[in-house]
Amino acid sequence: MSTLVDDDLWSAVGDPTRRRMIDLLLADGSGTATGLSERLPVTRQAVAKHLAVLDRVGLVHAGTAGRERRYRVDERQLARAVAQLNAVGSAWDSRLERIKRIAESIQQTTEDKE
Amino acid sequence: MEYASIEREIRIEAAPEVVFGVVSSPEHLKEWWPDEAEYPPVEGGSGRIGFHQDGGAVQWEQFTVVDARPPRTFSFRWTHAEGEEAAPGNSFLVVFDLEPDGEGTLLRMTETGFRERGWTEAVAAQAHADHVAGWDFFLPRLPVYAAKVAR
Repeated sequence: MSTLVDDDLWSAVGDPTRRRMIDLLLADGSGTATGLSERLPVTRQAVAKHLAVLDRVGLVHAGTAGRERRYRVDERQLARAVAQLNAVGSAWDSRLERIKRIAESIQQTTEDKE
Repeated sequence: MEYASIEREIRIEAAPEVVFGVVSSPEHLKEWWPDEAEYPPVEGGSGRIGFHQDGGAVQWEQFTVVDARPPRTFSFRWTHAEGEEAAPGNSFLVVFDLEPDGEGTLLRMTETGFRERGWTEAVAAQAHADHVAGWDFFLPRLPVYAAKVAR
């Protein structure tokens, strides 16, 4: 697992439009740039660029069906991105639990003295 | 430009002054995160935090206080290279906001900077630390929002 790949992967999901596109593709199973642009406040060209970014990091794969390329989410790669985000998130969850415990015990000690 | 971030919110049954001390002082920081902490807890204060590795080595990370306004805000940047000034693009920014909530405190934490820096390092720096089942969804702000709506 190289740093470069993970940097790119995280950049790819760091953008709200691309996350929205992933949501739509997951809900519908697959989609085209035209179909996605009709449901997003961005142009087809912009959608196509975003799809290219997602494709490059392996979050979506394109297949040709009819005139336009159809994209699907690579759920394994998405799970990997989510797992990385969660690793950082859950580390903070336990730190905050410790902060809470420490602060509350200090508060308790102070009140007991009063 | 949108930066990816981790956002959390927790209610603590302690006064903001107490919570501020816990999130900002090096002595307390060591109780909830790194094994070593050496920095002056004042605005611009620069130092380092250390994580004990297997075999006795210490992995040091640079640590710079951005904002220290008791008892409301404490923020810092970390993981910039030694000798570099902490700035967007070379470090992660962690912000604690404290809001009085009755007798207690509402503590909000955000960590940003993943997009510029890549987060493999963030995961690596914390690798020894925590294993907790606190999974939540893709967009970390969602549960915070959901809790607000449910209130």
